[in-house]
Amino acid sequence: MRKDGNLAGLEELSVHEHIEINGNREAVVEGCCGILEYDDAVVRVRTPRRVIRFAGRGLSIRCLTADALVVNGYITAIEFL
Amino acid sequence: MISLDLTRWLIGYVRFEILGGSPERFYTNCARSGAYLWDIAPNRKGGACVAARRYHFLRRSARRAGCRLRVRERRGLPFALRRTKAHPGLWAGCAVFLVIVFSLSLRVWCIGVTGNEKVPVSRIENELALAGLAPGARRSGVNPKAVAQQVLLKIPELRWMSVNLRGSTAEVAVQEAAEKPVIPDQTAASNIKASATGQILSMRVFAGTPAVKQGDAVVQGQLLVSGVVVDQLGGSTLTRSSAEIIAETRRSVSVAIPLVSRREVPTGETLLRRNLDVFGASIPLTLRKKPGAGWRVRRTQTVVSLFGTPLPLGVYEERWEKVRTESDTLTRAQAQELAKRKIGEQASALFKKGRVKNMELTEKWEKNELRCTADLTCEEDIAQESKILLK
Repeated sequence: MRKDGNLAGLEELSVHEHIEINGNREAVVEGCCGILEYDDAVVRVRTPRRVIRFAGRGLSIRCLTADALVVNGYITAIEFL
Repeated sequence: MISLDLTRWLIGYVRFEILGGSPERFYTNCARSGAYLWDIAPNRKGGACVAARRYHFLRRSARRAGCRLRVRERRGLPFALRRTKAHPGLWAGCAVFLVIVFSLSLRVWCIGVTGNEKVPVSRIENELALAGLAPGARRSGVNPKAVAQQVLLKIPELRWMSVNLRGSTAEVAVQEAAEKPVIPDQTAASNIKASATGQILSMRVFAGTPAVKQGDAVVQGQLLVSGVVVDQLGGSTLTRSSAEIIAETRRSVSVAIPLVSRREVPTGETLLRRNLDVFGASIPLTLRKKPGAGWRVRRTQTVVSLFGTPLPLGVYEERWEKVRTESDTLTRAQAQELAKRKIGEQASALFKKGRVKNMELTEKWEKNELRCTADLTCEEDIAQESKILLK
C-alpha cells in the first residue's frame, strides 16, 4: 500500500537519536545501539538509522547504559555516516 | 557529582580490565543486558567500573565478546566493612559507642538560662534542680510546664518562664518581674507633722491649713499643717495635707574609729584543687585535702560551651591561699580622715532632701579608738505626713 506523501515525510524526519553537545568537551548520545569503535582518538557509535563518529583527542566514554552514553574529551569532529 | 560518587562508594564498585576479544562488543553487550558502566577507559588495561553486585552478570557479555575480565580494584563501603571482619573489637567499639550515644541522648545534659538580670543563674538552677530539671535528668521525666510553674512559685522575682527541651539541651527563658511602684493613697486624710526639732525657714503648703508660720520654732511631732480645712461657711472638710517645710535643724552624729585594724596578708603559699565536671559527675583532678583555718579560697567554675550552648563539661577550681593576720596602727591624721569620711556618709544618709550648713567636730581619743562626734546644723524638709485615723 502506497503511503501518503506527507506522512512518509514525517517518518523520515522522526528522530531516533538525540545528541546534546556541551562545547566541544562533552557529547551525550541518547538512543544509541552499541559501540563500534573506541579509542582515545575515535568513538564510533551505532544508532538505529545511522552511525555517528566522534573524532578528537583524549576521548573517553564516561558512562554507558542500555540506550545512552556520554563521550568526554576534546572533540574535533562529528560525522554522521 | 559528589552525591553520585558517594552513592557509588556506598554501594561498592569494581574496576576491571578486559583481556582479549573485542572490548567494543563487550561494552555493547553490557549495555544491552542493562549493566551500567562508567569511567570506561579507551585502552584495554584501563577497563571500566561497575557496581560490585553487577560484576558477575558481566561474564556472559564478556564470553559472547570473546574476552575475559580481571578485577583490578574493589572500592566502597561493603569492601571496607569486609576488611574489618578480622577486627571484632572495632564492631564492639561501634556498638558500645552507639549504645552510649543513645543512652546519653535520653537525658538532659545542658541547661542554659537566658533573660535574667537581677536573679542569679545559680538560684534559678537550684530551683530547677529541685523541680527535677538538672544535668542528668531523664527527658521523659521532665514536664516543662510543671517545672516552670514550680520555679515561678519559688522565685517571685520572675514573672514568666519557659522551659524548652531540644535534644539534650534545656533552654530556660525567663523574664523578671517589674517592681510594683508605691502608689500613695491620695484619698486618705492626713496632717503634716515635724520630723525633727528646728526653726522654720520657709513653708510651701500645697493642701491643708497651716498651723505654724515662717520663723516659728517647732519640736519633733508638732502639727505643722492640719488636714482639717474650714470653708467660708464654717463647714469643715478633711483633706490630705501636702507641704514642703524647710527648717534649720540640729543633729548629732558620732563614729568610733579603732586605731588598730587587722588585715589578712598572703604568705605566698598556694594550693590548687581542681575537679572535672562531666555529665553531672565530679571527678577530682587533684588529690589534696581541703586546708583548714588560716587559708582563704577563691572558687571559679568554667563551663565549656559550643556555639553559645553550654556543654556538660567543665572545670571547677579552688585556689587556696595561705594568709597571716597583720595589725595596722592608724596615725592620728589617718584616723581623723577616716572619721570625717564616715561622718560625711552618715550625714548624707540622715535626710533625703536638705543639706548640712555647718559641722562642728569633737574628738575624744581613747586607748584604742577615736570617738568623734559631729554637731550638724542642717537645712532640711521636716514635713512628715501623718494619717488621720477615723472610726
